[in-house]
Amino acid sequence: MKKGKRRTEGQSGFRKKDLMAWLVMTPSLLLFAFFVWEPLIENIRLSFFSTKMYQVVDFIGLNNYKAVINDVDFMAAFKNTFAYTFWSLLIGFFVPMIIGVLISETVHLKGFFRMAVYFPNIMPSLATIWIWSYFFLPGPTGVLNILFGKLGMEPFEWLNNPAWTIPLIVITLTWKSAGATALIYMANISSISPDLYEAATIDGAGIIQRVRHITAPSIIGIAKTMLILQIISVFQILYEPMIFKNGGPNNASISLMMLMYRYGYRDYNVGKAAALSVMVCIILVILSGIYMKATAKKEEN
Amino acid sequence: MKKKLVSLILSSVLAVSLLAGCGSTTTDSNVTDEAAGAASEVKVGEVTEASAEEPAEEVSITLGIWPEDTLVEDIAVHEGYVQTMKELHPNVTCVPAYYKYSTDTFMPMVEAGNCPTIFESWFTEPTKLIAQGAIADITDELAARGWLDAMNPSIKALLSDKNGRVYGIPRDGYALGLMLNVELFEEAGLVDGDGYPIYPKTWDELAETAKTIKDKTGAAGLCLLAKDGAGGWHFSNIAWGFGAELCKANDDGTFTSNLASDEAIAAMEYVKSLKWDYDVLTADPLSEDWGTGFTQLGTGNAAMYIGANDAVNQPTQVNGLPVDKLAICPIPAGPAGQFSLYGGTPYFFSKDATPAQINAALDYLEVMGKAPVATEASVEGMKADAQNKVDQGVPVIQRFPCWVAQDVLDAEAAIVAEYGNVDPKMYDAYFEATSSEGLHLEEPGLTQDMYAELTKVLQAVLTDANADVAALMKQADENYQTILDENLNNKAE
Repeated sequence: MKKGKRRTEGQSGFRKKDLMAWLVMTPSLLLFAFFVWEPLIENIRLSFFSTKMYQVVDFIGLNNYKAVINDVDFMAAFKNTFAYTFWSLLIGFFVPMIIGVLISETVHLKGFFRMAVYFPNIMPSLATIWIWSYFFLPGPTGVLNILFGKLGMEPFEWLNNPAWTIPLIVITLTWKSAGATALIYMANISSISPDLYEAATIDGAGIIQRVRHITAPSIIGIAKTMLILQIISVFQILYEPMIFKNGGPNNASISLMMLMYRYGYRDYNVGKAAALSVMVCIILVILSGIYMKATAKKEEN
Repeated sequence: MKKKLVSLILSSVLAVSLLAGCGSTTTDSNVTDEAAGAASEVKVGEVTEASAEEPAEEVSITLGIWPEDTLVEDIAVHEGYVQTMKELHPNVTCVPAYYKYSTDTFMPMVEAGNCPTIFESWFTEPTKLIAQGAIADITDELAARGWLDAMNPSIKALLSDKNGRVYGIPRDGYALGLMLNVELFEEAGLVDGDGYPIYPKTWDELAETAKTIKDKTGAAGLCLLAKDGAGGWHFSNIAWGFGAELCKANDDGTFTSNLASDEAIAAMEYVKSLKWDYDVLTADPLSEDWGTGFTQLGTGNAAMYIGANDAVNQPTQVNGLPVDKLAICPIPAGPAGQFSLYGGTPYFFSKDATPAQINAALDYLEVMGKAPVATEASVEGMKADAQNKVDQGVPVIQRFPCWVAQDVLDAEAAIVAEYGNVDPKMYDAYFEATSSEGLHLEEPGLTQDMYAELTKVLQAVLTDANADVAALMKQADENYQTILDENLNNKAE
């Protein structure tokens, strides 16, 4: 915060500058207070009350939390949510990085590849899920089964095989969102000075060495940020499992957020939904804390 | 310096416009409300000319039961109803406010005070809407009209709370049957000498019939649901045929789950065999819900589907099946007999509605012919509805009696005879079965949670040929008992 002081050109303009900063910030502060902070606090309050519609009725302490933990679907949703996060890191974390590096190294048709890789992002999410549903349809009429059938393979069950449901959903997630993340990596890579590469090439470094010793160290910072952002967003996965299989087969793809949606919108139990969302929030705070600690240590080294 | 000044001005303009923006939204919505009000007055005409002997106060009602914009013909029918309302009840202003019930939108709408005076909902909703205080108690209004006694007692029970207060009235009663796509039956050669489909009378016959259809036409024999609670809903009807009683209501007010009985397991084994022994289901039952089932049936992807008389517009009008190619037969019998699940699709009223508004809305239902009265206006309403169905290619068939008033039933029967556009023989067996002792109400005690548990088992047995049905049903039984204990049994004390 003290940086501002150094940057001021003259002492006289100091106060005026502060005022202007506040003026610039006022709209966003108001918006944040109204649309983010107030609902957040209200949500925590709701989670301790029994509710009728959106009105609080009685203070019931931790009963909403107990009800959530005792819910017959809670453990499945809890485990699945971590499974989503795990698979999304395994499948989805390196893909955008690799795409970013590859496209940066590309000489011809760079613009086309950039567009192509971002394309799934501009399609409406629901539409892409429905299209994927046709691909994953079990039985001989599914698109993928027709394709594999040409190779003489038996039809697969795809999403209906509980062991594959989450990984396959994560693949569709990655297909959809990898492009956007890859763009961020590309921007980062393009800011690396070409001199470094030239020097390395002159010293006889091949592409793998260049990537390892120049590109990788440059993007590690952004990669760390992407990691935690990805964990936070995948942890809150909601509509993909809901549209694909409605949490099935037999709870194989149900997520915590889906459970919350059911409490709030299917059962009209707002207090219970609020309790679960507070729990999700706490878990994410813990995960972020672990991340901060882990990365802070590495930086010290 | 100049730059600084400009940005200062810009930012303050931004802030001011933001505040102004907040203000104008509220005014805007007021304007819209007034505009809507004005528009409706134009629609209904000179509402103010209430005659001297009718000092009734002005009442304005919003009609969530108005048809959606694309259904032009249906809207024309409703405009006719509004016209009749204007003549009979000049003090009432009717404001169209199409609302399609959805759990996503309902609560926010009610909280915002925008709930239509009258709207349609699902048969799954009464218990929780009553518990949440989201809908109006209309017992007194119904009692004053003498409609309480005219309501089918079991359906009335579904729409009442513990103290017997009534919160809704049935739009239609329904009883589950087996809808048939007659085109596929013809293609598979499953028709008798007169061209009527040879329908399966038992679940075993159903499997065989479905197999024949699959072999001869390539279409699925049966569309079974396993995406959401509707799967468990249909399954409970199958299970009754096998002798299962899925939930027991005890004398002390508690409930006991009974999903793991031998009968229920046998029923689930049967469903499993439809997939793995007969292979007669649609490509992915886990993607099928109430609506897609009608699409599969109507478009010729499946020959049979569990459906009821109140949804005959779904395969025909909505999905294009010719009106004379739909038939309904009774739900097949199991070892323990033949059962048909029945219930009612309700109309509900806004919790903010005044008694005068509720009465006006009930008047409107009378004009629509959906009330237990056979006045001239209501018979006209029924006729307009029937004519519209004929025009839209929807079978005009009997309603399931949600009212027990004899004159209404007679009037309805006369209209079906006059406007009937289908061969009654396609429905005879169904109506016979649904007026017998096989009628069965939904299971008591948090039924939706029971359906959810059953649906999970359905999903497991339909995706895994080696699924252990008994173990899965036992798990479902334990889960359901936990839910019952948590939410009902421990609170009953």
